Amino acid sequence: MPSTIEILQSLVNGVGVGLIYGLVGIGFCVIYNASGIVNFAQGVFVMLGGMFCQVLMSQLGLPIILAIAITVPLVALAGMAMELAIVRPMLHRGATLFAIILATLAAQIMIERITLLGFGDRPRTFPDFTPGGPLRVGEVAVGYQLFWILGCGALLVVALWLFFNRTRTGRALRACSQNREAAQLLGIPVARMMLVAFALSAGLGAIAGVLVTPTQYTAYNVGTPFGVSGFIAAIIGGFGRAGGALAGGLLLGVLQALAIVALGAGFKNVAALSVLLVVLMLFPNGLFAGFSLGARVHSK
Amino acid sequence: MALLSVDNVTKRFGGLVANQSISFDVGDNELLAVIGPNGAGKTTLFNLISGFFPPTSGTVRFDGRDITGQPSHKVAAAGLVRTYQLVQLFSQLTVAENVEIGSHRVTRGGVGGALFRPDWFRREERSVREGARELLHFVGLEGQADLPADKLPYGRQRLLEVARALAAKPRLLLLDEPAAGLNTQETEALADVITRIHRGGTTIILIEHDMSLVMKIAQRIVVLDFGKKIAEGTPAEIRAHPDVIAAYLGGTEVVDA
Amino acid sequence: MTSRVTTFTEPAALRWQSVSPAAGAAMLAVLGLLSSDYVTTVLGFAFIYAIFCTGLNFFMGYTGQASFGQSAFAAIGGYGSAILCTDLGWDPVLALFATMALSGVAAVIVGYPTLRLRGHYLAMATFALGLIVYEITIEWTSLTQGYMGYAGIPPLGIVGFELPTVKHQLVALVVLALFGVAVANRLRRSRFGRALAAIAGSEPAALALGIDVARYKLIAFVIAAIYASAAGSLFAHFVGFISPEVFGVTMVVQSFTMLYLGGIGTVWGPMIGAVIVSVLPEALRGLKEMQDIAYSAILILVLIFVPRGLAGLSSLFARFRRNTEPL
Repeated sequence: MPSTIEILQSLVNGVGVGLIYGLVGIGFCVIYNASGIVNFAQGVFVMLGGMFCQVLMSQLGLPIILAIAITVPLVALAGMAMELAIVRPMLHRGATLFAIILATLAAQIMIERITLLGFGDRPRTFPDFTPGGPLRVGEVAVGYQLFWILGCGALLVVALWLFFNRTRTGRALRACSQNREAAQLLGIPVARMMLVAFALSAGLGAIAGVLVTPTQYTAYNVGTPFGVSGFIAAIIGGFGRAGGALAGGLLLGVLQALAIVALGAGFKNVAALSVLLVVLMLFPNGLFAGFSLGARVHSK
Repeated sequence: MALLSVDNVTKRFGGLVANQSISFDVGDNELLAVIGPNGAGKTTLFNLISGFFPPTSGTVRFDGRDITGQPSHKVAAAGLVRTYQLVQLFSQLTVAENVEIGSHRVTRGGVGGALFRPDWFRREERSVREGARELLHFVGLEGQADLPADKLPYGRQRLLEVARALAAKPRLLLLDEPAAGLNTQETEALADVITRIHRGGTTIILIEHDMSLVMKIAQRIVVLDFGKKIAEGTPAEIRAHPDVIAAYLGGTEVVDA
Repeated sequence: MTSRVTTFTEPAALRWQSVSPAAGAAMLAVLGLLSSDYVTTVLGFAFIYAIFCTGLNFFMGYTGQASFGQSAFAAIGGYGSAILCTDLGWDPVLALFATMALSGVAAVIVGYPTLRLRGHYLAMATFALGLIVYEITIEWTSLTQGYMGYAGIPPLGIVGFELPTVKHQLVALVVLALFGVAVANRLRRSRFGRALAAIAGSEPAALALGIDVARYKLIAFVIAAIYASAAGSLFAHFVGFISPEVFGVTMVVQSFTMLYLGGIGTVWGPMIGAVIVSVLPEALRGLKEMQDIAYSAILILVLIFVPRGLAGLSSLFARFRRNTEPL
């Protein structure tokens, strides 16, 4: 029987990693809303974020701030490249939805393998953003990185809200998600909006990767678990809503953490995937379908 | 006794009442038309009868059996076959193959038959192919049997959809605006086909906008407006019915027959 | 979600069309027998994948659905055969049939709720199924020996007679793969095959003609699972060793590459794709490390530029003629 301390500790860890899932989930929603496509390669941006940052720090000796400042735009560029090279030509040629999903999955494998060739299969990590810690609350240890995750997560949510509500581009993106044809008629450059969505989504993934790497590690193959968890977060939140995805991520992170306590670390992915299946089958509109955690922007 | 009886059927979508307390019967070998202005609830009524969604209340009986709320494939299997307002062909398959698929309801071969191909299976397959050829001849598409369905001109796609439905040997055929988008010549060809199907002993319910077509071939007409049945009777009665005239003149369409 | 499906009654060129790939497969087998064991092994993998893809084609090609998790059933077959034959001393053929039956049952149980989903949800749910089984093969070490893998699996044999060399086994694999294609061909040209094609074409139309769409989807899924299971078992016997990576995401992407390259929805496309995709990297030696990158790149290019695959090219001219007596 796990002790209360153990459970509390795992809850604290779960909140941190759950917020990361939430960010990845928002990334899914951003692309889905703009294009109607689920990008199966979403997790790879998380991997690239952690990987680039680590390499820049260890190989070039850059300070972390600079490394992050280079990494995030770089990964955003990778996202744009994916849109330009794969998604756009396929949409242009009227490919089926399923073929596009498959192509993004293939892109994920390709990027993973290129990373493997370039950087090897050694797991990599870098220290917390700020040294010291963990903070002890009673017997529960809270790493300083968790505060960074919470702080940056909150900051990002505010920034995203401002972006979608206060900027021209953001509002144009929202218009695309409501009705692409109508948006086109209104003179919104829908194609360019998709590029923006991929860049934004990839950038979000990269930030998530940079934030989470100090608490665990990154390696060429961490993308799939993050991608799947992010998708689950988005599903729980009722696909398409940013707020829902964030809440879904937190819920999933906590559930996973509890599963680790109960079942051991090995089965945490099985637990997460089972949650996905249950939610898909029982609540196809998301657990929070009844609540308005964010505007439902894409009608199916 | 009626082949189909629709009894007090109501369908609500949220606050919108698409069909309100509609009742009518269709006798064996009758040709009934359902008309009404756009948005009167005709297609909703078809969807309720053919099981694409259940009614909010009321019952639908087919051949003495209560089929209310049964899934559409079961309704079809019972012999009540429909076509769609927007043609739903198997566009990647040939014209003949489309019709062959239509025979699903009246054949029985499964995985075992397909694997071992016993005599009865071969006979069945042969009759499916021959039946399809006859039906294509019946609607005048015999020359296009091997063309991919999506290469047919639109008017002929309509005929193909009718032929495919006929392959299921329906006891009751529901045709949802089969003449939509057809020119006069094509409409005439279609009217001829429908009349011959009817003469062959098949009961038909027809939703149609084209008044001249309806007045020409229907034996009885049910008129819907705003989800309610406002009239029922022979073409002559309907033409003289004050409510019908009001409904059509109040809208944008005019009875042109 | 309609993938382009070619005609299910093969046109006049049917006989020529079926004979030539079959002859090609036989020639490859002879070539394999005359070559080094290495070449034989590569061809063996090709025909195992041909079986896997022929099954997947039922669900994805003929029926026009999506499954990203078919590797799960290959894992059931592979690990099932490994455990039954190694630990319990079962005859390989018996184990093959037992695991195929097990996979079929598993496919019914899993497919019944899953196949109600559509589009992205179906894709992700099946993907999750594959990942769950993959995680289980890693974590349930007492059953699967985890990352270490399962070694010492006996070669394929028939009631006591082992097929001692890879060359013997290649012959068996080619025969089984051709058998698998023959079954697919018969099923496709039938009322059953027509029902699947109807679902791929238009679900509302299929329903209106009395086709029980949910039931036929499930049957296609189960058939695909049974083929996948057989492929997994054959892999285990052929190599003598399996590990979780064999049945991972790479398997999914690789099989899709084969399916799309060869021509999804055609009878011979899966086998043609499997052979080309298996042999191509071997022909370009030194690509070993780049193999997965090459697969992914080929798949993306095929998806963009020739979504109907190689077979799509030949059926274009063939579909206008028609076989009067395809039985």
